[in-house]
Amino acid sequence: MTGGGLVLQSELLPQGLDVSFKVAPAALVLGMLGVFLLVGFVFRVADTEDMWVAGRSIGNLENGMAIGANWMSAASYLGMAAQIALLGFYGLAFVVGWTTGYFILLIFMAAQMRRFGKYTAPDFVGDRFNSDTARGIAAVTTFLIAFVYAIGQARGMALVGLYIFGDLGFAGFSGYQAMVIFMMAITVGYLTLSGMLGATKNMAVQYVILIVAFLAGMYVVGFSQGYSTLLPQIEYGMLLSELGSEFTEPFASSGPYLWIATCFSLVVGTCGLPHVLVRFYTVENERTARWSTVTGLFFICLLYLAAPAYTAFGTRLYDTNIGATYGDPGMAGSTADVLVVLAAQLAALPQWFVGLVAAGGIAAAIATTAGLFITGSSAISHDIYTNLINPDATQRQQILVGRLGIILLGVLTTLAALDPAAPIAALVSYAFSLAGSVLFPMFFLGLWWENTNREGALAGMTTGLTVWMIPMINEVLPTYITSSGEPFIPQLAQMVPAIGSALVAVPIVFAVTIVVSMVTDEPPLETKRVVRQCHSPEPMGQQQAAEDAVTDGGETPADD
Amino acid sequence: MYEHILVPTDGSETSEKAVEHALDIAEQYGATVHALYVIDTNAMSLSLGAEQLDRIEQGQYGEMDEVRERAERATGYITDRARERGLETVEHVSAGQPHSLIASYAEDHDIDLVVMGSHGRSGVKRALLGSVAERTLRTVTVPVMVVDNREDQ
Repeated sequence: MTGGGLVLQSELLPQGLDVSFKVAPAALVLGMLGVFLLVGFVFRVADTEDMWVAGRSIGNLENGMAIGANWMSAASYLGMAAQIALLGFYGLAFVVGWTTGYFILLIFMAAQMRRFGKYTAPDFVGDRFNSDTARGIAAVTTFLIAFVYAIGQARGMALVGLYIFGDLGFAGFSGYQAMVIFMMAITVGYLTLSGMLGATKNMAVQYVILIVAFLAGMYVVGFSQGYSTLLPQIEYGMLLSELGSEFTEPFASSGPYLWIATCFSLVVGTCGLPHVLVRFYTVENERTARWSTVTGLFFICLLYLAAPAYTAFGTRLYDTNIGATYGDPGMAGSTADVLVVLAAQLAALPQWFVGLVAAGGIAAAIATTAGLFITGSSAISHDIYTNLINPDATQRQQILVGRLGIILLGVLTTLAALDPAAPIAALVSYAFSLAGSVLFPMFFLGLWWENTNREGALAGMTTGLTVWMIPMINEVLPTYITSSGEPFIPQLAQMVPAIGSALVAVPIVFAVTIVVSMVTDEPPLETKRVVRQCHSPEPMGQQQAAEDAVTDGGETPADD
Repeated sequence: MYEHILVPTDGSETSEKAVEHALDIAEQYGATVHALYVIDTNAMSLSLGAEQLDRIEQGQYGEMDEVRERAERATGYITDRARERGLETVEHVSAGQPHSLIASYAEDHDIDLVVMGSHGRSGVKRALLGSVAERTLRTVTVPVMVVDNREDQ
């Protein structure tokens, strides 16, 4: 890691941030959670007495907003601005990487995933490769992704929480640590209440709240400081000459290799994230799946196009009010992570307004964490417990295991976030590297190359996990166990950076999977037919697909 | 006395224990046996993800192979046992909160008796899961017979 990794993490007290309990912002955050629960309750899952009658269908606009809410976490809301502020040009890798992935999804995966029609990502892997071991590895990977991803969210929630709730500092924990525990308790509590609430509607509402808060923050800060008027997304260009050269100069803080590695990891990671892909299995048809990608990308871009402008405003305000952003001492990583909120505070906007921006960040973090925890708990209760350990598990047993899974994730995340290894965006990127290295190649090859077989998948996934682990042990582990926090082997950290390890892993995993698949037996014909079915123009459930393929000979080649 | 007997099932051994009791009574009175499997939306949300609930609401139950198989296996067990005794049966699957759907089914189909199993959980498991049998007792207005599974363990 560059930049943020150099900052001492132990204190985690953002410079210049007004840390105290504030009534209006606190009321806003609690009110917002209340709205989520209320909307969820109003649109809660109705009892379905007849299973064969179609109810309300989800359009692509609604699904797109849900994708936006599921997708945009504290990493987008807070972390992206932090990376741009601290590392300038390098931060753009996040803007580019986190949007480009949707094109790959649109072209290669959204509709095909819909046709395959499974429940979870490990289900896809297990069924496509006819292997419980493959399912198990995918489930463990899914759990790991949820865990690593959530650490970043916990850090974001806690830093913003400091502004809203002040320094709770109980039982010997620092203000930041106390806030991690407090915020994670709120999240897990929210999850237990929201279990049966209507998922899609609620996410659409979460999206609206977070995008309104973010855009309002950017527009009002820009306007009140005289930086911009109607189009801050472009107007911030005029401000660039006043910021340090580090903000604009390409590769000032890191080389092109790291930029490309990060960007690539984020692109393939997007295509391998289980909690995003699940939205494509459940829509009405593949047309909705395709259009959801487009509308989802549009809704995401609303925030992403605004982030660089907002960051420029924040950096300028920091320069004039607190001190130079670059140089010594410069802006700390924890400060950068709350820059979006800090900018509104430094612009001397009313407290409730700053609170709104802060609450939007917390909403983004809680919405995504809730989705991640459900994904992680389903990997445990559905994929590992029900499918591998106890096939006769009743629904009640699944609930029990699922709830224990959520509690386990909550505890692990809290512990890891007490002294986080890196800024929000970097923590989240580790999860992207993992999704890109292990799951993306399985989805891509599994959907597009019918000869990919069990042995290939097992070898590929094991390789992916190994390549991901190496930089995690080399770079991230030292920040927890050594005092200096330096990587064990600096050269290795240069070549295989944890934040972008998928650039190295993906080609290796593809090669291993393909070679092993070629030297071992081809997969059974039935599996091949299912793959072909994913590319036929006829939408069908999987069973139907296989049966039909058998009756008509199943030798029709793929036609898209 | 009893013309329609409802046997809610979750496919577990516990609920299968209750089946014998139900069928015996049904034989005595020549009653129709209704086998009801409720897809617990709470369980589905935790184990398959909340998005799958949207799928059921959209009427895509037909393509949810695994969920359907489980439901059909559970109700099928009751139908098979009942057929062996020459009893008339009705199978039904619904989704939501088990106790409230059991109650509304009982109301809609003129059920005279509900026979169901109970795991008899206590302690932590009880706190985390509650008891469907207990909640059903409180919601349903017709007689409920609870077959406790604990004595055999």
